[in-house]
Amino acid sequence: MKIHNLPKEEVFRSLVTSENGLTEEEAKRRLSEFGFNEIKEAKKKSLTIRFFEQFTHFLAILLWIGAGLAFLSEYLRPGEGMLTLGLAIVSVIFINAVFTFIQEYRAEKALEALKKLLPFYVKVVRDGKEKETHAREVVPGDLILISEGDKIPADARLIDTSILKVNNAPLTGESEPMMRDHEPFDGELIESPNMAFAGTTVLSGSGKAVVFATGMRTEFGRIAHLTSAVEAGLSPLQKEIIKVTRIVAFLATIMGIAFFIIGHIIGRTFWENFIFAAGIIIANVPEGLLPTVTLSLAMGSQRMAKRKALIKTLTAVETLGSVTVICTDKTGTLTQNRMTVRSVWLDERIMDIDDVMAEEAEKLMRIAYLCNNAKFIEGEYRGDPTEAALLKAAREITGDIKIERLSEIPFDSERKRMTTLNLINGERVALTKGAMEGLLPLCSHMLINGEKVPVDDLLRERAMDAYHSLMDMGLRVLSFAYREIEESSEFGVRSSESKNEDSSLVTRHSSLETDMVFAGLIGLEDPPRPEVPEAIRKCHEAGIKVIMITGDGSRTALAIAREIGLVKGNPAVIEGHEFVRMSDGELRERLFEKEIIFARMTPKYKMRVVSILKEEGERVAVTGDGVNDAPALKKADIGIAMGITGTDVAKEASDMVLLDDNFATIVNAIEEGRAVYENIRKFISYIFSSNIPEIVPYLSYVLLKIPLPLTIMQILAVDLGTDMLPALALGAEKPTKELMKQPPRNPKERLLNFKLLSRAYLFLGPIEAAAGLFGFFYVLKSGGWQWGEVLAANNLLYMQATTACLTAIIVTQVANVFACRSFRESVFSIGLFSNRLIFFGIAAELLLQFFIVYHPWGNKIFSTSPIPISVWLILIPFAVILFVAEEIRKFTVTTYFQKQSPYP
Amino acid sequence: MYRKILTAVNEHLNSEVTARYALNLARVCEAKLYLCFIAEKGQPFTSLDRAEEAIKRIFIEAEQMDIEVETITETGDPARKIGEIVRHEGIDIAFAATRREDVERRFYAGTVARRLSLNLPCSIALVRVVHIGRIHPREILVPLKARVNHVEERAYFTAKIAQAFGSEVFLFHATKPISKFFHGELHLTPLEWEKKLPEDISHYMEHMRRYKIIHDGRLVPGMAGKTIAIEAFSKRHDLIIMGASQRSLLSSILKGNPVEEVLKDTPCDLIILRPRHENT
Repeated sequence: MKIHNLPKEEVFRSLVTSENGLTEEEAKRRLSEFGFNEIKEAKKKSLTIRFFEQFTHFLAILLWIGAGLAFLSEYLRPGEGMLTLGLAIVSVIFINAVFTFIQEYRAEKALEALKKLLPFYVKVVRDGKEKETHAREVVPGDLILISEGDKIPADARLIDTSILKVNNAPLTGESEPMMRDHEPFDGELIESPNMAFAGTTVLSGSGKAVVFATGMRTEFGRIAHLTSAVEAGLSPLQKEIIKVTRIVAFLATIMGIAFFIIGHIIGRTFWENFIFAAGIIIANVPEGLLPTVTLSLAMGSQRMAKRKALIKTLTAVETLGSVTVICTDKTGTLTQNRMTVRSVWLDERIMDIDDVMAEEAEKLMRIAYLCNNAKFIEGEYRGDPTEAALLKAAREITGDIKIERLSEIPFDSERKRMTTLNLINGERVALTKGAMEGLLPLCSHMLINGEKVPVDDLLRERAMDAYHSLMDMGLRVLSFAYREIEESSEFGVRSSESKNEDSSLVTRHSSLETDMVFAGLIGLEDPPRPEVPEAIRKCHEAGIKVIMITGDGSRTALAIAREIGLVKGNPAVIEGHEFVRMSDGELRERLFEKEIIFARMTPKYKMRVVSILKEEGERVAVTGDGVNDAPALKKADIGIAMGITGTDVAKEASDMVLLDDNFATIVNAIEEGRAVYENIRKFISYIFSSNIPEIVPYLSYVLLKIPLPLTIMQILAVDLGTDMLPALALGAEKPTKELMKQPPRNPKERLLNFKLLSRAYLFLGPIEAAAGLFGFFYVLKSGGWQWGEVLAANNLLYMQATTACLTAIIVTQVANVFACRSFRESVFSIGLFSNRLIFFGIAAELLLQFFIVYHPWGNKIFSTSPIPISVWLILIPFAVILFVAEEIRKFTVTTYFQKQSPYP
Repeated sequence: MYRKILTAVNEHLNSEVTARYALNLARVCEAKLYLCFIAEKGQPFTSLDRAEEAIKRIFIEAEQMDIEVETITETGDPARKIGEIVRHEGIDIAFAATRREDVERRFYAGTVARRLSLNLPCSIALVRVVHIGRIHPREILVPLKARVNHVEERAYFTAKIAQAFGSEVFLFHATKPISKFFHGELHLTPLEWEKKLPEDISHYMEHMRRYKIIHDGRLVPGMAGKTIAIEAFSKRHDLIIMGASQRSLLSSILKGNPVEEVLKDTPCDLIILRPRHENT
């Protein structure tokens, strides 16, 4: 038993209040018990804590230890460059923290948008007197007074109503006016007509209600809590980055410790070993990875914006690429939301609207015209798309009709019909339009060839057959009926002067809607968007399951689904009433079916579908536009809001906003998302390749007892400098045609897998390392250096040699950027010039290297010295070798391992 | 198990709602109900009147339900007096409401509810009333820890409350996600989680079956307090029954306290049960 089941007296008793409302004293007491009537954000980590967490993960801690030791070394043995090293490590920590935070940051404004739907002041009755009070001070048991234009402050049970109509769109997603009454109701609380819910508005009429829930305990608060508390969790990319950093940090630590011990065994000093260990760690850590990933995601979001998909969270760019299921609305997303009347059923015949004659369809069209709230103003039909289409069709057939409307029982989702009471030729006539299942049982007669024929089972069956046939054509079907009210009827005589609405007639169970004459059916078409069938085909090819969730009936939904190619066989069709009764286990099983459609659904059910799909390991995208879509949008891996028809709350809760409300845009965004992931793998190969020429000089320094060929600052120059722009250019590679012909990547597939690592570490990297050491020794030998000779850090020859080593890495990385543009295809087959950003990247890389080598500031910062052009020239063959070797590898792979995974 | 049930009533509406839970439990357990009002010194007359009216209403309801009922009105320190009554009458379970501000100061300043919870020699049900529109709870959410003590009494209490209102019971266990250093968090499907259902929860379910209560179980990875609140909000549960927190103040500050979190965020009424033998 709940409050909506009770009669008025029981409501007062149960809430311990009365017609006189609460006393001020009791209201104060209840305020202290129940708290303010306000929307609060679920407790979350503050932005500051989230930012500081970026400094405390495993890799960061490791780097802090490194920096701490470096500062300690500087303190104990000043002048050995340890301060620079410490500062460099700290900057790496900060750079990584800032870029990770940028990726994760998301302004939480959904709750602010929700709060705007609540009123500031409200009229209450306290101590028997009407007064205005702050809405936040309303308490359970308060008697509130509501009238046209008011926003409702809390969930309340209506105890008195006068033709009260409300807009429950924030809760139900349906913007039609809902008639309210105060009678006890047996169904669900949320569907009860004797309820006024917080956040909804009064469209007309007035009423009194007793508050029973305030603040976060209202239905509105429920949406607010779920919107603020529900989280999709870490994105697939974030999870992968964590794994990558852990692997790298682990490898770096092991190598650092191992070579520290080796150094100790072979007799090097503690400080030499320490510098070496720190160098190994720095060389292993891909400092530029996070900035590059972040910038690449930002570029991806720019490209998506050009394709009308506005990205709100950076990581969403890549998450889109991993989507396995899209749960999509139908109207406006798959279809154009441009209703047109296509067929009618009249006199037991289905006919095209163009073939309908005015005389035969006069009654049907008159109902369509008059029982309608759309308007024809300044040459345009304005109003709800369905009503506008009906008005257009009726007006084209009958011309303008000037008939007085006396009253209206608005459409609501439970009754699924609306009725108007009109004065036609001095007679009152009730005109009704609505869903067949609700309207046909109200009819005692049917209009056939202008005659009223009593409805029998046969006629009823024929009407139902026609109804099903129209739905099977993918049409949204409405039925129409009327009742001429005789003067002697129980409604009495009413003259045209008596225009006041009779409130007893305008109720949800009005006796106007009895003994009606069934006038016919009208089928409306909402044509699919032209791009949608192709987009659906792409989804199928890409192994992405598309689930349609619509408020339409199952036959209409199925017909549309067939028309756009969404289903081919016999899909599972689950209707809302069936859905509610299903256990999670049953629903889970049905969701496994290959093709599935949800019909007659309301948005509030979406979150359950999304949750179950996610529990099963799917990566889910869901569309939504209403306030009550917000929790599902937050829960999904990718929440997609409609840019044109969406509410502010939906947009704020989403990860992506569709600027054109078009399903095809989602598919385009997924394609971009897949390309971004593919590109991230490409530049990871590129960045990781340069780790080997950074590590090998250190190994040589320890094992061969030679001067250190590459300093830590020079490593950072590569990782955070010269590598960055070419890597970003790799992030801008266009999606290949094959990308959307592959299934979504397996969640178990690692970003950094053995194949990728072995290509970078065992194939490309060693070539670069050889180039680096060659350059280093070439300069040393040319300068007369003898094996075993120790060179000071500021020795010109030594600085030139390290510069040559650094230059060798840069030169080979230029070739490597071309090599990394694809995993399998030859660069020539994808087009050498197809990504012009590569050339800008290389130009920037070389310019930076010129600065490091030839500018005094560059020399000072990076301990370099200018080298002759001949050194550059002798390094070029290494770049050529790398490029050719990679082309040979690709040729071998595509020739002999064609059918294997497209990923390295 | 419960032959004598006591409920503390005062001038606050939530104590009256709490008394209704006690009343319905007494009905199904065929127990005697003690309505107890302890007036504090200096309490205004309006409060006393309000409390008396509340007791009268509950008393009438109890009589209409053929429940043996007795009212006790005394003056003094509520926690101490209730303790004396419980000992004197041999009460099996006591109900008391816990108010909104209690949540903030429960640990730091101590409240009547907390003192009762810690000191009474009987089982105690602390009730946080937040939604007075859900008069008879239809769906009861029962969050359980992996190791449940007093399984029998907890199951009995839940089953009797469910019987009293004809409710369905949803057992819920929020567990730590499984993660590995190099693989991060592992994703398990509900079926895979089900295999990891703690033994105590299985025992609890057996009790539910024995009492013929319609029930369902679910195991979800996540932070307990937050996950329970989300579950209650999303599934529109009408009542939550959970165990009292066993975490110390320090542990609560460091690790958080799921019971306190649910107390703060609950969308529906919440009963925190401390079974009788925990204090002895």
